[in-house]
Amino acid sequence: MTPQTSTNSTPIIQIQNVHKRFHTLRGTVHALRGVSLDVQPGEVVVIIGPSGSGKSTLLRCINRLETTDSGRIIVDNIPLTGAKNINKVRAEVGMVFQSFNLFPDKTALENITLAQRVVRKRRKAEAEARAHDLLAKVGIPDKADAYPGQLSGGQQQRVAIARALAMDPKIMLFDEPTSALDPEMIKEVLDVMLALAREGMTMVVVSHEMGFARAAADRAVFMDEGLIIEEGEPDVLFSNPTHERTKLFLSKIL
Amino acid sequence: MPDERDYPEVQPAQPMPPQHSGEIYDDLQFEVKESLGDRLMNWIAGLPWWAIILAVVAVAALYSMFTSAAYRDVLRALTDNPQVTTEDLFEVVQIVGEPTMIVGRYVGESQDSVSTVITSLLDDVIDSELVQRAGFLVREDPATITIQTESGRVTIPRQRITAMDPPDAGLGDNVSVEYIERVTVTGTLTARDDKTLTIRTVNEQIETFDTDRILSEETTTTPEGEELVRIEREGLSYRGRLTALSQTGISLVQEDETRVELRRADVAFLAIPTLTVALNAAAAERTIGPDDEVRIGFVQGTDITRALQELDSLDGIPVPLRYGAGAARAALISYADLAAMMGAVAAGELDAALYLSGAEDRLAMAEWVENNPDAAVVLPTPPRECQRNCTVTVKLRDDVVEGRVLERTADTISIQTVAPEFVVIDRDQILENRRTEPGACALNNLRGCNAGIFLTLRVTFMAYGLALIIGLFFGLMRVQKNPILYAFSTLYVEVVRGIPLLVILLYAGFVVSPWLRDNTPLKLSDEWEAVLGLSFGYGAFIAEIFRAGIQSISRGQMEAARSLGMSYPQAMRYVVLPQAVRVVLPPLGNDFIAMLKDSALISVLALPDLLQLGRLYISRTFRAFEGYNTVALLYLLMTLFLSLLVRVIERRTRLPG
Repeated sequence: MTPQTSTNSTPIIQIQNVHKRFHTLRGTVHALRGVSLDVQPGEVVVIIGPSGSGKSTLLRCINRLETTDSGRIIVDNIPLTGAKNINKVRAEVGMVFQSFNLFPDKTALENITLAQRVVRKRRKAEAEARAHDLLAKVGIPDKADAYPGQLSGGQQQRVAIARALAMDPKIMLFDEPTSALDPEMIKEVLDVMLALAREGMTMVVVSHEMGFARAAADRAVFMDEGLIIEEGEPDVLFSNPTHERTKLFLSKIL
Repeated sequence: MPDERDYPEVQPAQPMPPQHSGEIYDDLQFEVKESLGDRLMNWIAGLPWWAIILAVVAVAALYSMFTSAAYRDVLRALTDNPQVTTEDLFEVVQIVGEPTMIVGRYVGESQDSVSTVITSLLDDVIDSELVQRAGFLVREDPATITIQTESGRVTIPRQRITAMDPPDAGLGDNVSVEYIERVTVTGTLTARDDKTLTIRTVNEQIETFDTDRILSEETTTTPEGEELVRIEREGLSYRGRLTALSQTGISLVQEDETRVELRRADVAFLAIPTLTVALNAAAAERTIGPDDEVRIGFVQGTDITRALQELDSLDGIPVPLRYGAGAARAALISYADLAAMMGAVAAGELDAALYLSGAEDRLAMAEWVENNPDAAVVLPTPPRECQRNCTVTVKLRDDVVEGRVLERTADTISIQTVAPEFVVIDRDQILENRRTEPGACALNNLRGCNAGIFLTLRVTFMAYGLALIIGLFFGLMRVQKNPILYAFSTLYVEVVRGIPLLVILLYAGFVVSPWLRDNTPLKLSDEWEAVLGLSFGYGAFIAEIFRAGIQSISRGQMEAARSLGMSYPQAMRYVVLPQAVRVVLPPLGNDFIAMLKDSALISVLALPDLLQLGRLYISRTFRAFEGYNTVALLYLLMTLFLSLLVRVIERRTRLPG
């Protein structure tokens, strides 16, 4: 079913026939209508699709920021629906948000060390050394003592990536990481993500950055109305979509 | 180019500085226009701590300097009248120790030279616990003996033995020994250092009074050869201007301007001038027009101005005298004595007689009226006693003093009624320090300051601390998805918020506290009732503040923390709450100030807080203006200082960027 059938390792993320409904005052929204997706270790998957198609919901279900109504999600061999300690799973799954969600009352360094100390129980010196390494890796080694309010959007997002990486996750989820950024800051974030992909990190990215998808992604997935419409290699999907809805969507954004 | 000299030099507008290669945000500068008040407040809030405290002290000092003695009087009353220092560090201490702990007995100047063995101190001030044990005498040495009792061996220092039966028992004999196991000293702690405590077991009391007050005197000699006198003396008399008269007390100013406050219970006799009015029978029925003349008599020496004033304010007096005091012309005629004046009334020479005198004279006048029914006489009912400003005479009850004569001069005698006794105790030998109650309020013993401003501040701080805990607890419950927690906390908030704080305080004091006293071992003091009532009432508001604060933090913060693997409590503790606290600091500060003001309500629980002391002062002196002024000013000073403090804290917790 997936194009990756040739690999013999078990998928690190298995999504099987997942349904999700949101109940609001105005009625019920069926956000996911039976989505199935496998992600192999080391694979980079980019999810595209129109607004409201369920991309972000799917991503948030992977680390259970949203619960599912039916279907199964298995991450790193642990089924999420019955997971006793969801926090252990979450510690292995890093997430980067569209709005960064840095802790505004803590410096960049403290943002990166907090979870290491609280969840991973690392000592202060160890956590700080790791934080400095990661800040250097994302290209802002001199901003350790800056507060989020003193950083530009691109710098904030890079700190957020470093914060997620500090937990040494096996999987990284990116929820439209560049949508809230000015065009000139998008590149610095994408560069960091690209480097991460080259290192072999398993990544699921919700993004409309076609350049990044072509350069880094192993697979692109097009979602609409809570369903996966089409998937394939990015170049093939973008240049030669088979589905009408994919064509329509791509014609609008390209 | 125009002539530049005709114009003042004008700087050209500053061009925008060139964009640097750094972050574009670095070059954005916002100019925010502040109002004058804001700038002043910011300037004040930016001052260092010591400057603010200094300013407050300066204001207080200026205040006390520029106000009258009356204000200082009130201020002292409201602040629990703290002495600068006190000798009585604690009112009562009860120390249980080993019998050898008493190393000396201190009387007056001879602390070092007098050293007494324990037995001589074993009188009523030091309780000893005597123990009796029976057993076989198994060991003897110069300092101790050891006996074998049914429950085991006991070694007793010989020094502590008070009785032994038989007294000459030898080894192996069956003996019964009575000895002092421990002693208890009760008294006032007056000094302490690293090693010892000094306790005054009995207070010194010296009475000095004029010898002409002595009614009778007898001298007895104690078995120790000390001479003691017993003097019956006449109660003191005071004469002066009445300033306040209430059910419990009398306050007057003597001729030398000294103020005297007396308890009614001590008063044997009180003479207050009473206005008496006698009318001629014919005059009572006469209608007096504006042009008529009214003849009013008085006895020489009567304060006629005051008598007329009193008359003017009387109800139930027939018409003629109203004219006499008001519109009609009055002729005032003085008489040598009461009999002469009353004769003139009977003879119709006078329309009315005014008499302002003490109680006894009033009776004389009533008697005269009874004997001469032809002259219609009106006596104001109830008797019109003077309330303020007239001259009164007060005599206190006779009493008895007993003691040792210290000094006797031609005019005065000094009697020491009780001599102080001091006991010095080694700290090492204290087994148990049973009770310490705060003594007099003083700078070296602030523990003793229990009323007025001290009580207000202490209750407010304690109640606020407790309310913060309650508020945080319920605020966290209010943001839970669990329906039971949410419903329970909502019930608390809605119920408590809808009941006046005064009612909650009354519940705490008169419903909850008595119930606890009857059904549990908990016995709440008035102060704790107030603290619990206040904190319970304010907890609801603070819970809502915390709830709003937590909800003001974006959901993304919680999600980011959870996505990093933190549990809900961890995320709350490390990520959400620290941010929420910053948000809620200003409203929390507001609530603290509000609580300080609302603490005035605790006076309904009979607590002597700032307001209550003010009211007591006013009911004693009738000086409501000064009293309430000072109360209001003290509350104002405290709240102003606190709002400054809140501003400073707000500034210091502001995030950069």
